Amino acid sequence: MKTIEVKNLKKYFPLRKLGKRYYIRAVDDVSFSIEEGEIVGILGESGCGKSTLGFLISRLERETEGDVFFRNQKISGTLRLPKDTRRRIQLILQNPYDSFDPRFTVGESLLIPLRIHKIGSHDLERKRKIYEYMEMAGLSPATNYYERYPHELSGGQVQRLSILRAMLLKPDFLVADECVSMLDVSVRADVINFLLNFASLSKTSMMFITHDISLGSFVSNRIIVMYLGKVVEIAKAKEIVKNPLHPYTRILLSYSPVLFEKRKKIPIKGYVQPLLEKPKGCRFFQRCPFSQKECSEIDPKLVEIEKGHLVACHVVS
Amino acid sequence: MDKLSIRYKLKEGEVQAVENVSFEVNERDVVGIVGESGSGKSTLAYGIMKLLPSNAYFKNGRIYLFGKDILKIPLEEIRKNRWKKYSMVFQKSMNALSPVHRIGDQIKEALTIHQPYLSQDEMKKRMERAMRMVNLPLRVLKAYPHELSGGMMQRTMIALSLINDPKFVIFDEATTALDVVTQGQILDEVKKLVENLGLTAIFITHDIGVIAEICNKVAVMYAGKLMEFGSLKEVIYHPLHPYTKALLKSHPDFLKPGEEIKGIRGALPDPLKSFRGCVFAPRCEFASEMCFEREPEEISVEGRKVSCFNLSEVSK
Repeated sequence: MKTIEVKNLKKYFPLRKLGKRYYIRAVDDVSFSIEEGEIVGILGESGCGKSTLGFLISRLERETEGDVFFRNQKISGTLRLPKDTRRRIQLILQNPYDSFDPRFTVGESLLIPLRIHKIGSHDLERKRKIYEYMEMAGLSPATNYYERYPHELSGGQVQRLSILRAMLLKPDFLVADECVSMLDVSVRADVINFLLNFASLSKTSMMFITHDISLGSFVSNRIIVMYLGKVVEIAKAKEIVKNPLHPYTRILLSYSPVLFEKRKKIPIKGYVQPLLEKPKGCRFFQRCPFSQKECSEIDPKLVEIEKGHLVACHVVS
Repeated sequence: MDKLSIRYKLKEGEVQAVENVSFEVNERDVVGIVGESGSGKSTLAYGIMKLLPSNAYFKNGRIYLFGKDILKIPLEEIRKNRWKKYSMVFQKSMNALSPVHRIGDQIKEALTIHQPYLSQDEMKKRMERAMRMVNLPLRVLKAYPHELSGGMMQRTMIALSLINDPKFVIFDEATTALDVVTQGQILDEVKKLVENLGLTAIFITHDIGVIAEICNKVAVMYAGKLMEFGSLKEVIYHPLHPYTKALLKSHPDFLKPGEEIKGIRGALPDPLKSFRGCVFAPRCEFASEMCFEREPEEISVEGRKVSCFNLSEVSK
């Protein structure tokens, strides 16, 4: 069963400038699906709409157009979801200190969602469950951490707690929005391993939003590359790294710093500029070093080049 | 830099932010300083620029900048040269720019103070060149900081630091908040400056990838102490210190799919407490009894420095 299916999803943010109405096309006509237990990485620079996509799917943001299906059930159109569906879709945000109430002990913060969703019959049972998860997360002795406030803990610990808080509800789908980019590398590895373990244990599907290609390809099964609200390439993580097809993906890869190999960078012009007017051709046209005539006229569609490898580019197809 | 120690005086006691760190940066060197947050990298940079807050003081040691001991130079002279001969890109560029002045005016100010003999046209040309270098549109010059995104402000700061053609620049987490493409472009520009104008730079970062991309020497710091120092090839490809090894292991690389990543257990020690032995010992997988007893001395061979007792075991 498909955990998440997105069909022609659009999100436009209205903007007024000099009395004229413009729209920022944060997510524009995006379709894809996530299978059960699959981890899909969303890759792109800032401003490409990856976070908006995460908010749309976790139903914190209303879409302009399009549909989102969760286990074959339509969840788009409204932000009011059945409580049980809310429980099944969880979100982890970038800054863990912002996602915990500074006035609550972390234990209380973990207890409240359990109470709301009536997991466990009384608080003592819930507490026991929290302790159990905390020990699993390497926060032992758990009684020691339960009474602490977020500011008393390190970033890695609080981020682990926020993952734990999401996992306590046994979600079917998890959106992790840049969930380790604030952490030090030494801590990051542990948190990632912990997240992956938890996800594979409970067969949770995950959407892993990141701008770090190394990390994205390490974590995910499949990777979706976005540029200015559009999906430009979908492929298996290994494929993206070994055989990137879209010029933008190739440029991204050539620019990401790696340890053990010196590679040639593909030159790129300009910078990411939000589009106010609807572009006629390909959005990447102006910066693309391989652009052809038709790129400026026709918007390329996602085409399956090889099995499971989709690219939106005239030059490649 | 020779046996430099910087401490912060706090209500609760003294923090040893930098402890006995010595290394050299030669002309045209690009030295990368890696370490976790709280390892004293930024304090070191502020120390070199003499920009430390008032509760910090130099315990001992010397910093020689262009052959001069900066602790003995009067502040007036440093101020004259800061920005012109040596400059710095700060971590939080949002706080480094004035919110009530246009970007262009702020950059121009740096030019007028240090090179007042330039004509208006020349200044404009220089500003435009700097903007192109960091890949910003010229309209940014007319904008106020609040109109820019974080990445754009960061790039503005980099442009500002390079506007007077300094000989030595410290980049303190300058590219961390940027997108990969922009980051790559700026690294390329810095590389060009090093080659063409003989720029010397220190890159402070926790991204080992960036270090591998641009630096020729690497200093690994942990809890204020220098763990390892050497050329890029030696430190990254043949690390000697267990901490360097552990750091490398925790960094995923997309060219090596299927490789496992491993974190470092534990956390940085409390900087207020003094301790015996090696600072890294509690988190080190090679630690022996001796590591908890005595502090390892720096072993220095042909410009490479390591502080560890168990080198033979680690290199196995």
